[in-house]
Amino acid sequence: KMSVPDYMQCAEDHQTLLVVVQPIGIVPEESFFRIYKRISAVSQVNVRDSQRVLYIRYRHHYPPENNEWGDFQTHRKVVGLITITDCSSAKDWPQTFENFHLQKEMYGSTLYDSRLFVFGLQGEIAEQPRTDVAFYPSYDECETVEKRIEDFIESLFIVLESKRLDRATDKSGDKIPLLCVPFEKKDFVGLDTDSRHYKKRCQGRMRKHVGDLCLQAGMLQDSLVHYHMAVELLRSVNDFLWLGAALEGLCSASVIYHYPGGTGGKVGSRRAQGGSLSAEAGNRHRPGAQEVLIDPGALTSNGINADTSAEIGRAKNCLSPEDIIDKYKEAISYYGKYKNAGVIELEACVKAVRVLAIQKRSMEASEFLQNAVYINLRQLSEEEKIQRYSILSELYERIGFHRKSAFFKRIAAMQCAAPSIPEPGWRACYKLLLETLPGYSLSLDPKDFSKGTHRGWAAVQMRLLHELVYASRRMGNPALCVRHLSFLLQTMLDFLSDQEKKDVTQSLESYTAKCPGTMEVITLPDGLKLPPVPFTKLPIVRSVKLLNLPTSLRPHKMKSLLGQNVTTKSPFIYSPIIAHSRGEERSKKIDFQWVQGDVCEVQLMVYNPMPFELRVENMGLLTTGVEFESLPAALSLPAESGLYPVTLVGVPQTTGQITVNGYHTSVFGVFSDCLLDNLPGVKTSGCTLEVIPALPRLQISTSLPRSAHTLQPSSGDEISTNVSVQLYNGETQQLIIKLENIGTEPLEKLEVTAKTINTKEKLHGDFLSWKLEDTLSQFPLKPGKIATFTVNIKAKLDFSCQENLLQDLSDDGISVSGLPLSSPFRQVVKPRVETKPINPPESSKVGDFSHVKTLEAILNFKYSGGPGHVEGYYRNLSLGLHVEVEPSVFFTRVSTLPATSTRQCHLLLDVFNSTEHELTISARNNEDLILHAGECQR
Amino acid sequence: ILIGVTCSPPQNYPLYIRSVPTENELKFHYTVHTSLDVVDEKISAMGKALVDQRELYLGLLYPTEDYKVYGYVTNSKVKFVMVVDSSNTALRDNEIRSMFRKLHNSYTDIMCNPFYNPGDRIHSRAFDNMVNSMMMQVC
Repeated sequence: KMSVPDYMQCAEDHQTLLVVVQPIGIVPEESFFRIYKRISAVSQVNVRDSQRVLYIRYRHHYPPENNEWGDFQTHRKVVGLITITDCSSAKDWPQTFENFHLQKEMYGSTLYDSRLFVFGLQGEIAEQPRTDVAFYPSYDECETVEKRIEDFIESLFIVLESKRLDRATDKSGDKIPLLCVPFEKKDFVGLDTDSRHYKKRCQGRMRKHVGDLCLQAGMLQDSLVHYHMAVELLRSVNDFLWLGAALEGLCSASVIYHYPGGTGGKVGSRRAQGGSLSAEAGNRHRPGAQEVLIDPGALTSNGINADTSAEIGRAKNCLSPEDIIDKYKEAISYYGKYKNAGVIELEACVKAVRVLAIQKRSMEASEFLQNAVYINLRQLSEEEKIQRYSILSELYERIGFHRKSAFFKRIAAMQCAAPSIPEPGWRACYKLLLETLPGYSLSLDPKDFSKGTHRGWAAVQMRLLHELVYASRRMGNPALCVRHLSFLLQTMLDFLSDQEKKDVTQSLESYTAKCPGTMEVITLPDGLKLPPVPFTKLPIVRSVKLLNLPTSLRPHKMKSLLGQNVTTKSPFIYSPIIAHSRGEERSKKIDFQWVQGDVCEVQLMVYNPMPFELRVENMGLLTTGVEFESLPAALSLPAESGLYPVTLVGVPQTTGQITVNGYHTSVFGVFSDCLLDNLPGVKTSGCTLEVIPALPRLQISTSLPRSAHTLQPSSGDEISTNVSVQLYNGETQQLIIKLENIGTEPLEKLEVTAKTINTKEKLHGDFLSWKLEDTLSQFPLKPGKIATFTVNIKAKLDFSCQENLLQDLSDDGISVSGLPLSSPFRQVVKPRVETKPINPPESSKVGDFSHVKTLEAILNFKYSGGPGHVEGYYRNLSLGLHVEVEPSVFFTRVSTLPATSTRQCHLLLDVFNSTEHELTISARNNEDLILHAGECQR
Repeated sequence: ILIGVTCSPPQNYPLYIRSVPTENELKFHYTVHTSLDVVDEKISAMGKALVDQRELYLGLLYPTEDYKVYGYVTNSKVKFVMVVDSSNTALRDNEIRSMFRKLHNSYTDIMCNPFYNPGDRIHSRAFDNMVNSMMMQVC
C-alpha cells in the first residue's frame, strides 16, 4: 500500500526517469545539497544519435514502498541511484563501498544502474578507473560531475531502451507475466491463468506498461498508441485500476504534447517539449530555459510542423484538451473504487487540477480539488496534514480562488500549532497566517483603513488577527504581538462588541507592560514590514484649533515696518496671481503669531469611543519647522464621552514657521504618533503659523485696589487689569504703577497712551498725566526688575449742579458775553445739550447733590525689547482705570453784580458743599472760603 | 440556513449576514467567504455569454459534507449567497430560485430608500422580517 503522496506531481512527471540521490555516511548537509543541486541541473539529456530527450526527476528521499508501485506507473520506479559519500582515508573505503551496496539493495529490484560519488579520497584507489564510482578530491573540485551524470543517464537510457524493445516485441504467443500493484498480489493467487480473461488482462497491463516506457524513452507517439490499445483491452475485462492508469497515461502523454511549457508552474524547472522535435532540438538543451506558458489554442497551431503525416497520426491519437479532462475524470473515478489507491487518486486529482489551471477552467478544477479534499488516506501525521492543506491552498491559489486558498492556508497554519503536536511550530504557523492575509483582503498597514469606514469580512478578519496575535505571542515576540493587537483594536474597533473591546484592551495592557508599543516599523526576518499602528481612534479627535496668545501677550507689528514689508514684495497694487497665491497661503496659515519662549496652546476636541474610562497619557503635540518643547498632558476620558476639549501646550524654542502635524499619545501602553493628515473627519482651521522672536513680558501692579468693574472692551482691546479709585470732583491723586519685567528679555521700550472711554461727562483739563521720562530713565529693564511709573489722576467735572445755571445768568439782563470769566476751577461756556439725560428733570429740581459720576480710561502700555523688538514687534498691555467721582462743591447759583468800574463786574456764585467734610475754596487772588459740610455760602 | 448578501467587487464585503442557528456563525462566515471564489468564477465565465439573457441565479455553488451553497448575482454584481443543510431535501432548485428572487426584490426596496447609502450594511426591519419569514419557512 502506497502511503506517501507526492503533492508536487504533475502530468509531465510521467515521462521522467526517477533517480534517487542520497548521501551515505556522514556528508555535510550543505555540501550534499550543493552537489545535489548540480546533479539535478542535468534534468534533460539529448540522447546520442537519436532525437529523443530523456527527462530525469531527482529525489533525495523516496519511500521504498512507493517504489513498489513502479510497475503500475513506471515513473514511480527508482531506476537510478546516485550516492554521495565523504571518504577521507583509504581505510574507510571498503566500508564505504559496502554501504553503497547496501543502499542499492533498498531499491535493488528496480534499479537500472547506480553511481557512487566519493569525495575526499585520494591515492591509488582513486586512480583505478571504474564506471560506477567517481572520485573527487573535494566538493569544490568536481568539474566533471555533470559529465558523469550525463554518461550515467545514457546508460540508463540503454537499459530503458532494451526493456522497452523487449516488452514491445514479446507479443502474444508467449506467456505474458501479469503485472500487478502490491495490494493485488494475493488476490490473484490460484486464479486460472489460462482463461482468455486473464490473458487479456495481462496483455492490457503490459500494453500500458510499454506505453509508460515509451513515454519515458521520449517516444510520445508510440506511447499514445500503446495507451489507446491498453485502454481498449482493459476496458473489455473491467480491470478498473489499470484502466484508470492507462487513461491517465493517455492524459499525461496528451498533456505533454499540448503543453510543452509544463503544468507544474515552476518557472525554469520545466522545459520545453514541442511536437516538432527537430525544430526545437537546438533550443531544448539549454538548462533552465524559461518557458512562458502558452495558451492551449495557440499551442496546437504552433505545434504543426512540416511533417504532416506524423501530425495527422498525432492528432488522431492525442486527446483534445477537453478530452484530457474527461479522461482524467474517468481515471479518477476508477481509482476511487480502490481504497488502497488513494494516493494515486489524489495525485491524479492534483495533476488534473494543474492541467485545468493552465486551461483556465477554474470551476472544473475546483471540483477536482473538492474531490481531493475528501479522499481519505490513512491516518495522516500532523506534518503530512500541513503539507496537504498547504498544497490545497497552493492549488486553489493557482486557479484564482484566493479566498479558498487563504482558508486552507489558515487551516494549515492552525495545524502547525495543533495541540496534539508536542512542539508546536508557532513560527511556521505565524508565517502561514501572514500568507493568508491577501486572501482575506487584509493588509497590515493601518493607512489602508483610514479611508472611510472599513469594508470587509470583519468577523473573519478579526479571527485571523486574533490568531496572529496569539501566534506571535507564542513565538515569543511580544513586540509583534503588541503590534498586531494594536492593529486589531485600531482597525476593527467598529466591529468589536463592548466585551471584546474590554478583553482586547486588557490583554493589550498586559502585553505592553512587558513591551510597550512603539512607532517603529517592525521588520520580520522574511522582509515583511509591519508599519506602526497609531491609535487615531483612541481617543477620536474631531477638531484641532490653534489658540492665540492671551491679549496682553499678543505681539503686534510696528506700523512703519509693516508697511514696508508687505508692499515691497510686488510692484503692483493688485495682481490676480499674487492675490491667488496669497489666498492659498491664507487658507493654511493663521493670521496670528506665537512668540518664542511663550507657552502656546492648541485645543483638540476629542471623544472616547470605548465603553470604559480611557486613560490617555503623555499626550502632546507633534510639530515641524520650529524647535518646540511640547508639554505633555495626561487625561482621563469618561466612557463613551461626548466631545471633550483638551488643551495641549508647548513652548516654541526658536523662531520661524511652525506646523502642527499631529499629536502623540500613549494609550494602553502603546505610543502612537497620530498625524492629522491621516485622520479622517478632523476639522482644523490651519495648522501653520509664524513664531516670532522672544519679547519681554510686563506685569503691572498698582497702588490702587483692583476693580470689580470690567470695562467694555472697545476696538478689540482687552484689559488685563482693572483698578478703581474714588475721587472727589476736582481731586488729584497719584497712581503709582509698578512695571515688572517677568519675561526673560530686557524691556527696552515703553510707550504709554491713554484713552478715556466714558465721554458722557464733560471733562476738564488733563484727566491723566504722567511723566514718562522718569520711568524711561530706569530702562532697559532687566528681567525680574521693577520700574515705577506715576500717573496723576485729576478729576475735574462740571461743578454746576444743574443745567439751567447759565440760564439764570442771562436772565439777569446783563450781558456777560465776551467777558473773560476767570473762575479758578472752570469756565462755564454754554449749556450742553448732551448732558441733559444724565440729570433728569424730576431728580434735579434743586440739583442731585449726591450724584456720583464715573470716569473710565484705559492706559495702554506698548512695550518691546529683546530680539522681538529688533524684528519690529511690540506687546500691548492695557490697564483699565475706573474712577468714581463724587461731587464736592456745587455752584448752585450764579449772578453778576455791576462793579464800580464798567469794565468789571462782580460774579456772584452760590457754592454748596455736598461732602461730609470741611473744605476750602480758593479763588485765584481772593481769600479762602471755608465751607463746612452741607453748608451753602455766598 | 444562512443568508448572506455581499456587495459588488472589488472588496466583496458583506452587507448582510443572518444565520440560524447563531452559535456557529463564524463557520458560516467562512463558508460564504470562500464561496465567493466560485461566484467570481461563474460571473467571469458568464461575462462571455450574452449579457441580457443572463440568468441571475447561479445555482449550486458547491456542495460540502453538511451544506449546500447557492448563489445569485444581480446585474449590478451584488451577490446573494444561501447556505442550506444538505439533509434538507425538501428544497428544490425552484424553491431556492424563488427565495433568491424574493431576496432580490427586498434588496431593491432597500436601495429605493433615499436614506440608504449603497454599500452600507443593511439595517432594515422590512428586510429582516422577510429573511425571518423565509428562514421560518425552510427550517
